[in-house]
Amino acid sequence: MSDMRELQGALEAAVSEVGKVVLGKEPQIRLALCCLFARGHLLIEDLPGMGKTTLSQALAKVLGLDYKRVQFTSDLMPADILGVSIFDRRESVFNFHPGPIFTQLLLADEINRTTPRTQSALLEAMAEGQVTIEGETRALPNPFFVIATQNPIDQSGTYPLPESQLDRFLMRLELGYPHPRAEREMFERQHHLDTERVNLKQRIDASQLEQIRQAVTQVHASASVLDYLQRLVAYTRQAPEFAVGLSPRGALAILQCAKTWALMNNRGHLVPEDIQMVLPAVTAHRLIPGGDYAGDSLALVVQMQSNVDVVRP
Amino acid sequence: MWSVIAQFALVAPHLARIPVWVIGVYLFAALWRSMVYRGRWSFPGRMLKLALIVTSFISLYLSYGTFLGLEPTVALLLIGFALKLIELAQRKDAYVLLFLGYFVCVTEFLFSQDLLIVFYSMFTVLLLTTALLALHQPQQHKFNPRTIRLAGIMLLQAFPLMVVLFFLFPRIGPLWTVPLKSQAAKTGVSDFMRPGDISRLSQSSEVAFRVQFEGAIPNASQLYWRGLVFSKLEDGAWRSLDYYEVPATERRQKQPELVGDEIRYDIIMEPTQQGWLYGLRHAESNRSKVMSTADFRLYSPVVLEDEYHYTVESWPDAVLESELSQWRRKTELAVPRGSNPETLALAKELRLQHKNDRDLVNAILKKFNEEEYVYTLEPPLLGEQAMDEFLFQTRRGFCEHYAYAFTLLARAAGIPARVVAGYQGGEVNPVNKTIIVHQFDAHAWTEVWLEGEGWVRVDPTAAVSPDRIEWGLERAVATEGSFLSDSPLSLLNFRSVVWVNNLRLRYDALTWQWQSWIVGYDAETQYTVLQNWFGEISARKFVIVLLGSWAIVLIPVGIWLLTKRPVKAISKLDKYYLTYCDKLGKRGLSRAMGETPGNYAVRAKRKFPGSASEIDRINGLYAQLSYQDKTPESGTQLLTEFKRGVQRLKI
Repeated sequence: MSDMRELQGALEAAVSEVGKVVLGKEPQIRLALCCLFARGHLLIEDLPGMGKTTLSQALAKVLGLDYKRVQFTSDLMPADILGVSIFDRRESVFNFHPGPIFTQLLLADEINRTTPRTQSALLEAMAEGQVTIEGETRALPNPFFVIATQNPIDQSGTYPLPESQLDRFLMRLELGYPHPRAEREMFERQHHLDTERVNLKQRIDASQLEQIRQAVTQVHASASVLDYLQRLVAYTRQAPEFAVGLSPRGALAILQCAKTWALMNNRGHLVPEDIQMVLPAVTAHRLIPGGDYAGDSLALVVQMQSNVDVVRP
Repeated sequence: MWSVIAQFALVAPHLARIPVWVIGVYLFAALWRSMVYRGRWSFPGRMLKLALIVTSFISLYLSYGTFLGLEPTVALLLIGFALKLIELAQRKDAYVLLFLGYFVCVTEFLFSQDLLIVFYSMFTVLLLTTALLALHQPQQHKFNPRTIRLAGIMLLQAFPLMVVLFFLFPRIGPLWTVPLKSQAAKTGVSDFMRPGDISRLSQSSEVAFRVQFEGAIPNASQLYWRGLVFSKLEDGAWRSLDYYEVPATERRQKQPELVGDEIRYDIIMEPTQQGWLYGLRHAESNRSKVMSTADFRLYSPVVLEDEYHYTVESWPDAVLESELSQWRRKTELAVPRGSNPETLALAKELRLQHKNDRDLVNAILKKFNEEEYVYTLEPPLLGEQAMDEFLFQTRRGFCEHYAYAFTLLARAAGIPARVVAGYQGGEVNPVNKTIIVHQFDAHAWTEVWLEGEGWVRVDPTAAVSPDRIEWGLERAVATEGSFLSDSPLSLLNFRSVVWVNNLRLRYDALTWQWQSWIVGYDAETQYTVLQNWFGEISARKFVIVLLGSWAIVLIPVGIWLLTKRPVKAISKLDKYYLTYCDKLGKRGLSRAMGETPGNYAVRAKRKFPGSASEIDRINGLYAQLSYQDKTPESGTQLLTEFKRGVQRLKI
């Protein structure tokens, strides 16, 4: 239990550390950490200039992960990410030069600016945990995270990710405009913030990360909570507002994130609040609004939350 | 997809009645719709829609010459129904279209309540319901043939309720009326008769009415269905007396003495758009809506726009009007002056030979029988002095010629006489022992008044062609080949094919059942039925019966539905928790569906700070029991504690 307390302390420290540069976004920071602890990849979606990159950089630093950043452009090729073999004249062999993907945390900035071909190379690596280049399979480091950022798809010059690939991301977060108070603080401490961004400290190390991951598996999910989860999943499959319901993978994703969330709140068991907290971030990008309900699937998830009873079957 | 199928199925029965261009509108709308569906065309603009509406109205007016009346309104509805198709952008529009479809389905019954139409309408209702269902299914744009099965099950579930509503729901009179069927032709015998009228009617194989006798069916030669009595000869045509032509004292029927055996039978009339009813002599009906007139006819003050069912009792031996009033005698003896001089002369001559009225009548009949008079469906046209021409030159005529001639002769000879029109004979349906009377059974005969015997039926046609009375028209004109020559497609022409005839008779028997049970079930029969079952009817009793029968019908359906669905058991713990929620709910703080116990507790504590500790405790126990990993023995103990906590909670 002392371990748990220690972990909790590290966790809070990490949250406040990231909070130094991303002001007034504590829930999003916690969700982002939750996603990473649950071994998932994270997609941050918002308009340009909302702090997507700042958040991902800060997360990488705080977790002390070795990270690389790739700015996706429309002419980026798969080899630019995965790596390429170059012929060495002197030794008469092909030498593999690993691409930026061989890192613990990859920041894929503006993933929807690149072509589907490059996108799928990345997403495949995300799913498999390994890459195959020129017939040779190379394992990616462990842990391996991708934090991708993207602009909302209705911006011009983008290649929106297809739904099947969105599914590879455990969570999708939206940052939104900062609170006026936080924004004011940002104005006032502009220069200060820049230096802080550089000086962020690591708060969680690799062994702690592994500990957290182990502890998540110990979190107890009671029948009652699982019933609630099943009711939610069933709702997405039956209700007319969704064209396609949640897949079993999507349902497992909710459970995994909720357990992590419970652990982050220092609880050894799941409560419905855990599920409700992670639900929008985990499910909104997996659900497609159906028929006449075109529009924001996030709003539909919130609506679903209020339509499914927590207690009564 | 389903809705388009349903729409075309709905319009199909109306095809014969609506102008051709309306069908054009349908095809046009369907084409546009499919183009929109494929994304080639877009929805029509506002101005175009306005133009379409205006054009439709104008075309409709040009087609019918009016907007009032049933056909134009139905056609208008159908056009709107078609044009709605190209406006089908949202779910809301689809609802409008489908519910309009149900309405269109009902309009079909304004024209016909035939059994086949009923089955067809059930089919269209099924299609409509399927379309409505398909609208609520995922992947609604795909065509799913299984939807129709679901719709069928739903309709079957609704069927018992339909039956109950049909038999028990009060028949409420219409709140307004529209001029119905302005354009519909009046069928059957009309209220005046010129030579040639009935022979024209005899070309029709439509059914006039059906009869079912309570006992044995009388001999065909006794089946004279009286419908109209023509007492007035004017401008070469026989007319029945108008209401105002009869003096007030003569308007009531002189009730004859009812002697001899009575015959009881049920008649269901096909719609005629007229008011008179048919019956054997002397007929009385127990139906309150059937009136009897001074010339012993049955009459319905309401025009028969639908099938009409009535029960009649007849006394064939009753003496009608044993004493003739002055006015009546004068009326029934009137002969127009100056016309048909030769006929009048013949009458005088006969009078001189025969002093007795009865002998005189026989003499005329004998003349028809022995001299060369021909019974034909194709009589020659007659000129100004019709009867002179007929009696002395052409000598070819149909029943109305003979009736006309006989009546004229009798009147000229001083015997009160009049023409009676109606039907004679009928086809016996061996399947259910009904008699089917067709339009070609239309007949005209005469009645003479004889001292001491009252009005006596005399059929001069029988003297010319006894076959007509014994065997019907077909046999009587068999050599001529003129029977039903105008309606070659009628099933009656195929009577020689055994199975066709059997099928026709069976279907006719079914029609009788249908008409007597369903179509004829109006407010009056309903009242009688209810009275037979439940005694004297009071409003209170009626409501109880109505609601009770609904319950009887709906409860089994409900039970079936509920047992089919697996009932989710609720755990004891959750039950206590819900009691707690109810307790708080009664104090104005109910739990929202998606609200977690924790959040609810926070709200509760804020609202009832006095009970904060109890709420905390209950909520804590619930969270512990419901969500935490627990050992079974401490679980039961905690559960009792939780239960007690909920029970003791007072706010």
